[in-house]
Amino acid sequence: MLKKISTLLLGLSAGLSLSAQSPTDGLMMPQGQLCILGQYTNSQWENYWQGETKRSNSNLGKVSTQSAMVMGNYGITSNLNVMLGLPYVWTGSTQSYITGQKGLQDLSLFLKYQILERKALGGAFKIQTTGGLSTPVSNYTNDLMPFSIGLQSKTASLRGIVNYTADFGLYVTAEVGHTWRSNVTVDRDSYLFNNELVESDEMLVPNVLDYSARIGYIKSRFQAEVWYDAFTGLTGDDIRYNEAPQATNKMAAGQVGVFAKYFITKRFAPLASVSQVLSGRNAGESLTWAAGFTYFLDVNKKAEAAK
Amino acid sequence: MKKQSILAIGAAFGLLLFATQCDKNAPEAPSIEPYPETNLEASAGTWKTYMSIDDSKTVVPTPEAAGSSAYQAELTQLKSTMAGATAEQKELALFWGSNGVTRWHEIARELAANYNVPPNYNADGTYPAPDPANPTAYPRFPFANPPVASRMFALLGVAQYDALVACWKRKFEHNRLAPYKNASDIQPLIPTNDLPSYPSEDAVVAAASREILKFIFPGEVSYINDKAEEHKNSRLWAGANVQSDLSAGDSLGRIVAQYVINEWAKKDKMGQANNQAAYPNLKADANARGISVLWTSRDIPSRPPMLPFFGNVKTWNFDDATKIALRPPVPPQPGSAEFEAAMDELRDIAKNRTREQQRITAYWADGAGSYTPPGHWNRKACELILEKQFNEIRSARAMALVGTAVVDAGITCWDVKYYYLLPRPTEMDPDVTTGTGIPNFPAYTSGHSTFSGAAVEVLSYLFPDHKSELEAMAKEASESRIYGCIHYRFDCEVGLEVGKKVGEYAVTRGRNDGSE
Repeated sequence: MLKKISTLLLGLSAGLSLSAQSPTDGLMMPQGQLCILGQYTNSQWENYWQGETKRSNSNLGKVSTQSAMVMGNYGITSNLNVMLGLPYVWTGSTQSYITGQKGLQDLSLFLKYQILERKALGGAFKIQTTGGLSTPVSNYTNDLMPFSIGLQSKTASLRGIVNYTADFGLYVTAEVGHTWRSNVTVDRDSYLFNNELVESDEMLVPNVLDYSARIGYIKSRFQAEVWYDAFTGLTGDDIRYNEAPQATNKMAAGQVGVFAKYFITKRFAPLASVSQVLSGRNAGESLTWAAGFTYFLDVNKKAEAAK
Repeated sequence: MKKQSILAIGAAFGLLLFATQCDKNAPEAPSIEPYPETNLEASAGTWKTYMSIDDSKTVVPTPEAAGSSAYQAELTQLKSTMAGATAEQKELALFWGSNGVTRWHEIARELAANYNVPPNYNADGTYPAPDPANPTAYPRFPFANPPVASRMFALLGVAQYDALVACWKRKFEHNRLAPYKNASDIQPLIPTNDLPSYPSEDAVVAAASREILKFIFPGEVSYINDKAEEHKNSRLWAGANVQSDLSAGDSLGRIVAQYVINEWAKKDKMGQANNQAAYPNLKADANARGISVLWTSRDIPSRPPMLPFFGNVKTWNFDDATKIALRPPVPPQPGSAEFEAAMDELRDIAKNRTREQQRITAYWADGAGSYTPPGHWNRKACELILEKQFNEIRSARAMALVGTAVVDAGITCWDVKYYYLLPRPTEMDPDVTTGTGIPNFPAYTSGHSTFSGAAVEVLSYLFPDHKSELEAMAKEASESRIYGCIHYRFDCEVGLEVGKKVGEYAVTRGRNDGSE
């Protein structure tokens, strides 16, 4: 079963839906089933937090990040899913004269494992864990923020998920995750970090803690959900006064969102979501909307049919 | 099956976490080992200085003789200071022991980067100006943009050099040996040499640098004082100077630097460089010369031009008439075929900028929050000095030659910019989007190109075996502005040429300063 994308690594540059369809939700794909997600995402901000100070910048106007992503989620077993996703991202602004950037961003791979499922209280409790890896697939510039399409950091993530779904369709999910991010190389070889001059082209990229809570309804053809998710860099410095962000910044944001999905046929379901950043640090006050579809294939049955 | 899966997943996570265990500290600068003094430069006291300060002003008290009880007491004190030095103090002895001159330029670059902050606009669309009387209030004083930084690096190099020439003169008048030559039980932490230790060259450099940097960065007085004390004390922890060596050096360095400040820096017309009220005169002058399309700010809201009268600041290595003679001919004007050809190249780059072109743009951009292009060449000069293991006075000479050439280049370039007031490419066609920020001053000629041409002319003279590498760097720095689409090709080519000519004047000075 597929669900919406949670925007985990929403940097100032992005409002990117970096993560896959559901490394953070409480649902599993049945064995042998493959789900393909196609999604367009549009994220825009005019205000942003320079450190903890909210401001706008007339030389940027409204900054936008758009992406088109394809992702696959396959049930190796009903307790073990694998997900693979790749977005194409493009950026721009209404006022800046700086050339917007575009390109294939980072390939991500997630393994999701259901540790436990127990029937109780007229429903089911589930405990799951997700592990992820991501790596850039193109040599995009990572030091032209907020126009860079990503940070060029390789990441590894681990998260834990607790879900309760009542038999009548209501569910609640809580998730917490940690993402390790590799340091990166930038085009310049000197920069300020915490007001100290670093004469090197290597930049520290803070690791990230994220968490989310969601409550929704899922029954027959329909699913709807509201959620809150947040992430914070665990180290890092602030954007310098009136300057551009850089990979070393401690970025954080918390956002609320709604999501809905409806199965028109057994296999095909359009979906849409909208979310708004409410609080942040070195991040844009993004309004994000996304629209897409999922399509289900029963790989095992096809294989059997071929025999 | 379930257990196997868990094990497999556990192993996979173990591996990936191990693979991404990454260092979350900023990269450390490579440590530079102190190196021995191979040439004492005994005649350096006669080298030609910039300010020609009168000998009578740099007299130091005659030091106590080696056998005197006063000096013996100083040696005893030194031994006790060394014995009490902490591990951190011993590290600082090595840190400063490598090269005091380049260490201070490192500090200067860091200050420049921290103060290179263009003020943000006010709610009413105006821009606040940094206030020298209130340097720590936002926007902090000074805004260390490329002209300001270039002037600062030159003043620092000149003060260090002139003070060290005076220091060398006194060293070989008094010929007091280093403490470890006078007491065999003093084991210095840094390489020994036969250079007379009175006055201490390190104290001279610390004091001269301190005075210049406090003058430029009045909001950083306590930080700068602390660094100077640390530098001087490092000589005690290292066992390389006694206190009277340091006191004499401090006094000498301070006197020479104050002379540079009073006789040059306060008279070089920098105080009028940002005379915005007179800017309309420059536009009227350009109009009167038949130039009709004039530069305007690309910032929103429109920002007053950066230092429109920096071109009037006093140059170090040539006079005003020479500066005017260096002024290149009028650039191709908007509407001309030559101008359109230059625009077409930029339109194409803006549409199809390659990753390599973007890399070069970013590498050389040295924009807001950086140590500026003059800082980039300052760093390169320091790296070459350390590679060649120059001693303090050779280092200061190199930094003064490069520093004065680079500020002269800036002044010459600013004169040209506000003489012709050529618009930036993006002003002429908004489809020419850029790979970096558009500087807030006219296009012709390119500052990066002029700075780089001058710096490389001098560095190639000082480090001839690096000539081809340096020239390739200057060319790339110059072309980076075309790839970034913030300059026409002719801005860069002409700027590089003029820069080289500016550099030649510094080279001529170098060849005739008595050091060769």
